[in-house]
Amino acid sequence: MPERRSRIQILLGTRKGTFVVEGDTRRHSWRVGRRAHEGDEVYHVVADPRHPGSRYAAVNNGFWGPAVHRSQDGGRTWKEIATPLLPRTKARRNRTHPSAPVANLWHIEPGHPREPNVLFLGADPHLLFRSDDLGRSWESVDSINEHPARKDWAPGAGGACLHTILIDPRDPKRMYVGLSAVGTFRTENGGRSWTPTNKGVLAPFLPNKHPETGQCVHHVVPDAANPDTFYRQDHGGMYVSHDRMDRWIRIGRPLGDDFGFCVASPSAAPGRAYFVRLDGRDRTTGIGHFQVQEWNDERQKWRTLVHPNAFPGHYAVHREGMATDNREEPGIYVGTTTGHLFVSSDGGSSWRQVPFGFPGIHSVSVANPSTG
Amino acid sequence: MGPTIEVRLDGWLRQFGPKPRESVEADSVDHLIDSLEERYPRLRFKLRDETGHLRRHVRVFIDGEDVSGTTAGSTPLSGAGVVDILHSIAGG
Repeated sequence: MPERRSRIQILLGTRKGTFVVEGDTRRHSWRVGRRAHEGDEVYHVVADPRHPGSRYAAVNNGFWGPAVHRSQDGGRTWKEIATPLLPRTKARRNRTHPSAPVANLWHIEPGHPREPNVLFLGADPHLLFRSDDLGRSWESVDSINEHPARKDWAPGAGGACLHTILIDPRDPKRMYVGLSAVGTFRTENGGRSWTPTNKGVLAPFLPNKHPETGQCVHHVVPDAANPDTFYRQDHGGMYVSHDRMDRWIRIGRPLGDDFGFCVASPSAAPGRAYFVRLDGRDRTTGIGHFQVQEWNDERQKWRTLVHPNAFPGHYAVHREGMATDNREEPGIYVGTTTGHLFVSSDGGSSWRQVPFGFPGIHSVSVANPSTG
Repeated sequence: MGPTIEVRLDGWLRQFGPKPRESVEADSVDHLIDSLEERYPRLRFKLRDETGHLRRHVRVFIDGEDVSGTTAGSTPLSGAGVVDILHSIAGG
C-alpha cells in the first residue's frame, strides 16, 4: 500500500517494541499506530528517504539476539531481513572482546542518495557493517572492525556501541562514525582508512584529559546548511566543529553542567542545534522539569526552551531520543526513558505532550511527508 | 546420525518456524540444533550466536537435566530421549 505522503510520522524505538505515530503537517494531533516487535528492545527505527515507505528497525531480543527488520509500507508490517554477524573466525579473533559475537544493534543509516542500495549499521562491540543490497547481506567494515587501535578500546556504560554514522551529502566517500568511549573518526576514501577527530574534546574520566581517542561521544549531528559543521554531545560536554571535525570548540560551558546524550539540528534552521542538558551525576534533567537548550551558532548564544511549569518531573533522554523534521517551522521531537513524547511544532516556542504512555523510549526519528 | 530425539521447543520459538514438538536424529546438542536450523532456516543464530555458543538466556535440558552454558553444544545425546529448549527467566 503506498504511503500517505501528506502525513508526518514519528518513529519510536522503545524498550518494548516499535511505534509509528502519525500526524498531519500542522503537527497538533497524533495517532499512535499498532505496536510492532512487541517485547523487543528496539534501539533505532529509521525511514529511508530514497525509497518512500521503507523503514528499518534495529531489534534486540534478550533471548534470541539481534535482528534487522524492514517495512515497505510505512511501518504497518515488518519482516526480518539479514542480520549482520561477524564471520566465526573474526568473531573469535577480535582482540578487544575475544569470542565476542555481535550484541545489540544500535543504528541503521541509509546510504548516500547516489548509492540507493547501500545501508550502514552500527553495532556492539564497536562494529560497522555495510550492505550493498538493502540489507539482504552485510559486510564487515574491517577498517573499523579490525582497527589497529582496537585493543585499547573499552565499552562505555551503555556497551561498546558504534552509534553514530554520518555521510557527507556532497560526497559518499566522506563519512564519520561515533563510538562510545572511543570517539569520532572520519574517512575520506569510502571507509578504507579512518582518522580520529576528537581534538578539543575533554575526556574527564581519563588521566590524559585530551587524548587522540578515548572520548565518550554520545551523539553528533551535522548542520543542515553547512555539511562541514557538526554539533556534538559528548560525555565531556557540548561542542561544535566548523571544519569537518578537525577541531572541536566547547560551547556548553555557559550552561554549567553540559552533560547529556542527544542533539538534533533541523534542516530548516541552519545554525541551530538542540540539546537536552542532563545532570552529569543522576543523568536526568535534575532541575525538576523538562527542558531543551537551543544553541544559536551565529550569535554564539544559548536559549532555554520549555516553560518550567509545563512538564514537572525528572526526565532522561537517550542519545537517539531527539529528532527534528524538515518543515519550514521546525518540529522538534523528544522521547524520554519514562515513555513521554514531547513535541514542538514551532521551532521550540511551545511544547505539548503526545497523550500516550509509551514504554521507555530509546530512539526518535521522523519520516517527513515530502521525502519518506 | 544419532539416536532419534524428541525435542520440545519453547512456544516463543514458533515465530521462527518449528512446531512445539520435533523429532530429530542427532548425536550431540550442536548436531540437534544444526538439524533444526536446516529444517527451519529462520532459527539460525537464534539459539546460538555466530561464535557457535548457546545464547546466554537459552536453556537446554536433556531428559530434565540442565546442560546450558557455552559448552552445551558438545554434550552427547547417546541414551537421551527428550530435549527441552527453553528461554530462561530473565528480563523485565
